[in-house]
Amino acid sequence: MLIINNLHVYYGGIHALKGVSLTVNKGEILTIIGSNGAGKSTLLNSISGFLKYKGEIIYKDQKLNFSPNKIVKMGICHVPEGRLVFANLTVEDNLLLGAYLRKNKKEIKEDLEKIYTLFPRLKERKKQLSGTLSGGEQQMLAMGRGLMSNPDIMLLDEPSLGLAPLLVETVFNIITDIRNMGKTILLVEQNAFKALSIADRAYVLEQGNIIMEGQSKDIANNPKVKEAYLGVKK
Amino acid sequence: MTQFLQQLINGLSIGSVYALMAVGYSLVYSIMNFSNFAHGGVIMFGAYFGFFYLTLFRLPFTVALLGAAISTSILAIIIERTAYKPLRNRKAPFLYFIICAMGMSIFLENIIIALPFIGPTFRTYPEIFSKTPIKIGSLAIGRLDLLMFIISSICLGLLVYFIDFTKIGKAIQATSYNIKASALMGINTDFIIITVFALGGFFAGIAGVLFGMKYTVYPQIGVITNKSFIAAVFGGLGSLPGAVIGSILLGIIETFTSGYVSSQYRDLIAFVLLIAILVIRPRGLMGKLNEDKA
Repeated sequence: MLIINNLHVYYGGIHALKGVSLTVNKGEILTIIGSNGAGKSTLLNSISGFLKYKGEIIYKDQKLNFSPNKIVKMGICHVPEGRLVFANLTVEDNLLLGAYLRKNKKEIKEDLEKIYTLFPRLKERKKQLSGTLSGGEQQMLAMGRGLMSNPDIMLLDEPSLGLAPLLVETVFNIITDIRNMGKTILLVEQNAFKALSIADRAYVLEQGNIIMEGQSKDIANNPKVKEAYLGVKK
Repeated sequence: MTQFLQQLINGLSIGSVYALMAVGYSLVYSIMNFSNFAHGGVIMFGAYFGFFYLTLFRLPFTVALLGAAISTSILAIIIERTAYKPLRNRKAPFLYFIICAMGMSIFLENIIIALPFIGPTFRTYPEIFSKTPIKIGSLAIGRLDLLMFIISSICLGLLVYFIDFTKIGKAIQATSYNIKASALMGINTDFIIITVFALGGFFAGIAGVLFGMKYTVYPQIGVITNKSFIAAVFGGLGSLPGAVIGSILLGIIETFTSGYVSSQYRDLIAFVLLIAILVIRPRGLMGKLNEDKA
């Protein structure tokens, strides 16, 4: 569904991605794990059109080379790191902005109800300014807002960052629910343990290079990964 | 008491025109985080457009007013495309935008002076509305003052409606909060920037015509419009309600100073007010606070 070939990204003199290639298959949860500064967010920002890169990104047999708003139109939705909810707007306005490019009002309304079923907390707070939500609620809002664009693939950047353990659990359950709705998910996480537990396949990104790829189970059992990312000592 | 009410009415009238100008500063600031000092030049152009539409083309007042507003709207878009977009494409620091805006402001002023058929002369709008005031008891309300207040209020009402109740308005609010996140919603942020300049330019044109009618038209009229910038800062740059409230307050303070103290102190007070506000409350009356949680 999404194929990345030999992707290079530079920030001035810094070579942030050094020839990354990967494939995302339809309907799977693919996770990219890696430590801070490995290039995970850079990868997602390249896909959603914020960065200039060398190499190619192919989505549904089409080369992506557009501005961010056109990429959203193609069914790619990026839920950014740090949620970036519109704190000056209400929860419901945030969700409706997620459907900015859609025209069919009836479908938008139906989807809004679906989001409220998936995230009952958002329904309770729909008239509240989203800046007053807790971090976990903001993460749910960011994901709900992303879903409102009715995407085929969702790029999730560190959805568990800064959340209490119980909420981390909830967020990962919701990611599985979203996949079961028929969406493809590209999940970037520092919480490798949780990410590997829900993902089908995984890549390990280290200093701009993919150093490992495979089924999540195998990656999780790899001794090197265990030591570096799962905190298991030999 | 009569004098108090009289001054209050005058203050509301001039304050509402300041508000029309101030929203232009605030709209641009809210999205692009810089003070667009070329806005004064756009207002000045509005005064000239209106003047020539009325005198040269002898258009009816409403047509001339709308024509001036549309012309300055286009001018504002041209300024954005030629002066600011190249800077945005190169991700220039905000300081460069401000310097570019100042340069643009000087350019606009001088192009008017340089044009042979316009030049630096002062021009007076033809008398469209009778100078005899409307008497209500002992109050005398100038027809032009009343008109300024009514037109400005209608414009501001339309703007509030547009920002709060339309899809593009919501997109403007979203973009003002976070430009990256709004692009992730599929919002064409470049289009939002054009819209904001067009809106600011439109109101600048109307304000320019009203201002020109009230006073005179000359190339440095943009300097006076700096006061509306003060009003925008006073109210909290980037906040539309702030810009309106700041402007109305500034208008009232000005007329009261003129009325009770001396008109010579009018501008002095306005600038002292700005400095005091910046010292006591740097973000202005209703400036935005960063509410980001993550």
